[in-house]
Amino acid sequence: MKIVVAVKQVPDVSSVQTDDSGNIVREGIPSVLNPYCEYAVYMACRLKGDGPVTAVTMGPPQARGALLRCLELGADEAYLISDKAFAGSDAFATSKVLSAFVRTHIPGYDLILCGKQASDGDTAEVPAELACMLGVQQFCYVDEIVAGDDLRVLQNYRDEKRICVVPLRSVISVSKGECNRRLPSINDYLRAADVEIKTLDKAALGLDEQSAGVKGSKTRIISSRSSGVERSCVTIDGTNPSDAADVIIKEAGM
Amino acid sequence: MSGCSDGSCSGPDRLPPGMLSKYDLDLPTADGTLVWLEVIRGPEPRFEASSLEILDKARSICEGRVFGAVFGDKELKPLYDIAFSYGVDTLYHVKDKRLVQFHPEAYCDAIAELSARIAPAAILMGATPRGRELAPRLAAALGAGLTADCTDLSADGRRILMTRPAFGGNLVATIACNGFPQMATVRPGAFPMPRADVGRKGTVIYRRYLGSAFKNIVSSEPVEAESVDISKAKILVSLGNGIRDRATVDLAESVASKLGGAVSCSRALVDRGWLPQSRQVGQSGRIVSPDLYLAFGISGSVQHKAGMSGSKRIVAVNKDPDAPIKESADVFIIGDAHSVLKELDERLDSN
Repeated sequence: MKIVVAVKQVPDVSSVQTDDSGNIVREGIPSVLNPYCEYAVYMACRLKGDGPVTAVTMGPPQARGALLRCLELGADEAYLISDKAFAGSDAFATSKVLSAFVRTHIPGYDLILCGKQASDGDTAEVPAELACMLGVQQFCYVDEIVAGDDLRVLQNYRDEKRICVVPLRSVISVSKGECNRRLPSINDYLRAADVEIKTLDKAALGLDEQSAGVKGSKTRIISSRSSGVERSCVTIDGTNPSDAADVIIKEAGM
Repeated sequence: MSGCSDGSCSGPDRLPPGMLSKYDLDLPTADGTLVWLEVIRGPEPRFEASSLEILDKARSICEGRVFGAVFGDKELKPLYDIAFSYGVDTLYHVKDKRLVQFHPEAYCDAIAELSARIAPAAILMGATPRGRELAPRLAAALGAGLTADCTDLSADGRRILMTRPAFGGNLVATIACNGFPQMATVRPGAFPMPRADVGRKGTVIYRRYLGSAFKNIVSSEPVEAESVDISKAKILVSLGNGIRDRATVDLAESVASKLGGAVSCSRALVDRGWLPQSRQVGQSGRIVSPDLYLAFGISGSVQHKAGMSGSKRIVAVNKDPDAPIKESADVFIIGDAHSVLKELDERLDSN
């Protein structure tokens, strides 16, 4: 199966900074492949058969790091969509760019896999927006994918679990954020290092200044601030459990 | 519209960009709020609480009429008056027994068509799993801006400001849409459950769904509602990686029941299989905001804090005087989690 995995590089959540307009400053912050995306790559590689698995991301030049990780995990090829005009894209603009990528570069794909959400924005919007823009079905909250005579997924809606048959060309978003897979071997690292990560700009996707980035977005950030609620951080010595219990019982109003 | 049931709709040139221009609803006359009313299915269907919370908020901050959209068959009739009593003026019932099940593509098509008819200024739904799946599809179909999982909404005329946490709760962002309709999903529990205005009247309009965007659902099973819902508990006794003895979990259960609360945990205990995933607090678990959060043996990773930093009071017990949870706590007790729980259990007995 020809599988496209749309991934995202996310900053390390513990060192967040924003610029004056509230947009996230990605430069200079350590970045990782979003854990849900990592699982999507893993699932894609298990399903692919003859393959290939194509990893794609939109981001600044250093998002190559996330793609390299995808290659180490078993992806066969990787595309970096990087263009200054795409900076500041919201979920709508991002989905538009990704759908343009799929149409222009992998028109004969069989399946698109995504992680459920990115650990920086948590919006979880791109998989369904992408599916809608491509005019295909979407399958969210997928816990398992089983390929037999047909392709089936187990979806978990928390109050309902259901099994659906997935038509080819659908978008699947997987819920898990980690996987007990084998660690990449030396060979995986060597193979990944040999794969050329192709870089695409707006012209390569047939897009213009207006179609993505801040101009192509449907939302704008008015302000953003640190959510830090001031806590008193009173430290108490609880070596004697009875002292600790006193405090807690008082807090609980018992 | 897309007929996706057999996957035949997937030709890359069949929908967009035509679909995107089909609904140009960014009109100066856009007015009113359309709310998708999610129904919890069962022998006696009822509205998902977040849908009702949104209705009340929409009434209080937005100008214009409040429209509701529901999907299902005649079993929904008893819900009409409930919808009106919580603020719906006009209820669109897309009547089709196949739509008792959640088909996001069909729901999206139907709401998009309703939107073209109503031209609402805003479209809102609960940030439940289904709401968060349906809303982005609809946003793409309408070319609308969408803000996910909002914790607050305010309005300036017909313009809505949406507030949501980002970066695992480290940041709070205020977002606006660049045009109409403005879309948002709203976190369940973000607004208080309103009182019903019993006897309030409204209009029901039946709609038929003529599309064919149905999924092939092989089987569907309800998951037993967890007897403990940690997002509703007033007091949480929460356990983390510092808990080394499985018996401590039972002890915590005992303390929680005596305090009238519930036991939750960080991911470590779910990974060990000591507590189910439904009890997990954090970015990949549940977001909780109890009156009192008691963290035992929780070091306080960013992912965990994202799930509990909205608690009114936070008391942490940890052996490590430098545990990062210290900064997030109102009271930080340096001590052994098991011993403190044991002491609490005994003391609460005698109370």
